[in-house]
Amino acid sequence: MQCRKWRAYTVVSNPVAEGKPVVERERLAIEEALRGLDESAPLPAAVPSTRLPVEPLVPVPGQQIRAVGQRAVRPDSRNHGLGQTRYIADFTLPGMLHAKIKRAGVASARIKRIDTSAAEAMPGVISVVVGCEVPVNSFGPTFQDQPVLADQLVRHAGDGVAGVAAVTEQIAAEALEKIIVDYEPLPAVFDPLEAMREDAPKVHPPKSNIYHSMVVRRGDVEKGFAQSDHIVQGRFTSQMVEHVSIEPHAAIADWDANGRLTVWATIGRLTLARADLARTLQLPMNHIRLIGTIVGGNFGGKNEISQEPALALLSKKAGRPVKGILTRGEEFIASTARHPFIMDYKTGVTKDGRILARTARLVLDGGAYCSWSETTLSKSCILAAGPYKIDNVRSEAIAVYTNKTMTGAMRGFGAPQTCFAYESHMDDIATALGIDPLEFRLRNAFEEGSQTPTGQVLHSVAVKQTLLKAAERFGWEIQS
Amino acid sequence: MKRRGRGIACMWYPIGFTVAANPSAAVVKMNEDGTALVLTGTVETGQGSLAVLGQIAADALGIATDDVYVVSADTDTTPMDTGAIASRTTYVTGNAIRLAADNVKSILFEVAAQVLRVAANQLEARDRTIQVKGFPRCSVPIGEVCKRAQTTLGQPLISSASWNPPTVALDPESGQGKPFSTYVSATQIAEVEVDDETGEVEVLRIAAAHDCGTPINPMLVEGQIEGGISMGIGFALQEEMLFDGAGRQINPNLTNYIVPTALDMPEIDVDIVQNYDPTGPFGAKGVGEPSLVPTAPAILNAIHDAVGVRITSLPATAEKVLAAIKAKRTDERRQIPAP
Repeated sequence: MQCRKWRAYTVVSNPVAEGKPVVERERLAIEEALRGLDESAPLPAAVPSTRLPVEPLVPVPGQQIRAVGQRAVRPDSRNHGLGQTRYIADFTLPGMLHAKIKRAGVASARIKRIDTSAAEAMPGVISVVVGCEVPVNSFGPTFQDQPVLADQLVRHAGDGVAGVAAVTEQIAAEALEKIIVDYEPLPAVFDPLEAMREDAPKVHPPKSNIYHSMVVRRGDVEKGFAQSDHIVQGRFTSQMVEHVSIEPHAAIADWDANGRLTVWATIGRLTLARADLARTLQLPMNHIRLIGTIVGGNFGGKNEISQEPALALLSKKAGRPVKGILTRGEEFIASTARHPFIMDYKTGVTKDGRILARTARLVLDGGAYCSWSETTLSKSCILAAGPYKIDNVRSEAIAVYTNKTMTGAMRGFGAPQTCFAYESHMDDIATALGIDPLEFRLRNAFEEGSQTPTGQVLHSVAVKQTLLKAAERFGWEIQS
Repeated sequence: MKRRGRGIACMWYPIGFTVAANPSAAVVKMNEDGTALVLTGTVETGQGSLAVLGQIAADALGIATDDVYVVSADTDTTPMDTGAIASRTTYVTGNAIRLAADNVKSILFEVAAQVLRVAANQLEARDRTIQVKGFPRCSVPIGEVCKRAQTTLGQPLISSASWNPPTVALDPESGQGKPFSTYVSATQIAEVEVDDETGEVEVLRIAAAHDCGTPINPMLVEGQIEGGISMGIGFALQEEMLFDGAGRQINPNLTNYIVPTALDMPEIDVDIVQNYDPTGPFGAKGVGEPSLVPTAPAILNAIHDAVGVRITSLPATAEKVLAAIKAKRTDERRQIPAP
């Protein structure tokens, strides 16, 4: 089988040697590859990336090769097209176990007791882990406020409280049912505005629920409003959404007898993840090998560790590799999501449509843990006024803990939320002034050398070009 | 009755982390036949970054995209990288690879200078050769140079480099500073059809004009924009995680949490505007995240244009749009004076 597989690669990567027409070569390669499908192929050491011929790149004498700007075929496209790309779900190691994590199911509680004895006694269950066994039971990119497995307080319903490794996925799932956790219910808070009140239940007692804030101000907004002909205000809110990557969070941990840990994971930020593994497991970094597999979608949802330290400890206890794949339900309840925003905007404009002043106040629902809230908050606060020349601007943002799924990195880091607000707001102002929305934007858009609300002088600015090009493609005619 | 409307939305977006260092390191090495390997710690998450990074290395070395193989994502073998996050891979990791390739190229020039008997600064790498600038016939195949470097001069072609986008910390009181090295911008215009009896919104087409600096691979830029728009449509019209009174999710599944499918996709017309950022590799910036940022407001503004209601909370579900249309009708009726 190995030979056949290898031959398929050879056919593809040395097409000239075959001496056949391109179409014929490709057909042979595909047939060969399909015949060579081999479920028991060994785990690749790193991301496999098949070299494929890209026809236009064969050099023609005297014709310059320029790789930049080419619509080059991705090196992984043929594996994807043939269904040969291996994701973690496709990998098997000898003796590998399957892990499941028990989720709290309550949003706010104190853990009084965890009894895993019945689960451990089940035939087929090899190892069980709880939070107090994690050497350092906290992680996070900004604040280390998130436990690997909750051991004292449960702060949202998706918190993990115990992990089980068993010979099959089904036995592991059944074992979770036998784990008994006694909870003492605690008051909870779900609304970010309520959570900001002094008397609100604290998600991380004794710390305040407001865990991060930021201000960007430039010029004098009060003076700008006083000089304005019109003042327009609006409140906009956005919802919590999931990344919904096709591939869920997945990992295999293999803690070998020499004490070296190898983890294959879908994480998109390996350097940070290895640091988090070293911290939570108290291992020197050179004892950890973290391999990023080909990922079936990230969108910001896989930028930090989640179940990996628990899988590592299950593997250490069992002496066997352990694989864990989150279910679709866990993707929703136990992985990060996009921050819901509450956004208050106020803008002062002249009659002829020049923006004189703008304020924006943003409240971010941070959920139970900080995760990437700090980055989301700073990006949204800096970008809040939009790509417009405004001399007087103030934006404030605060992130608030609630007893809900933690919100973190997601494609755009707060920009989709604020853009929804400032661009809806821009149309409301254009309507109030009776100016075409495109025209109103063109009058205020950044240009080369414009200053941002943080005072940065911009270079390579193309805001107006994008407005005009989109209008041209769409066929937008300015109505005056 | 189905009513059509158009809506525009514009945005700006930074590349890389806010102030915080987010470096990338890279290793470029060449084989004796003139092919090359790139080692990077970033991860391919489906966006096609390995193709883009390979193209950057190939262009810097004057060889073909297919001559470069990119090894990625292994903390034992690949160098440090801040990762596939913040739309930074093309810009930051790309710059590191370009710098490492330039280092390798200077070794190539030293070796070729001896063969061609010219000064190293008179040479350039193109068309899989090292040639004298302006005299393409006075050249030596790159494979020959690589082989000579290793077997005759004992100087293997390998080099590493790193890059970190320059920033200035923000003043804590005023937020003044330079949080990012560079920004991109984009405009999307949507045409929608709103059924004013059901509140249902259909996105018919979207024109999307994006600035990403030089598009290293225009096909992958278009792919990012089309994918971003699908995510933006879900954000605008459908997706919402809902919780019960006890803080438990009530729709943690794909039956009740509806994401857009191929059937929901509008006609998309992508324009990559011409731009060049001197701080990026070959003038490139990035496009991953910005692709979805203006989609939702463009759709919401188009709904407003179509039926005259301003939906201020996302998502604009059919129920929400219909309720707003009904409320608007009631308001309008109230304003009609009694006979």
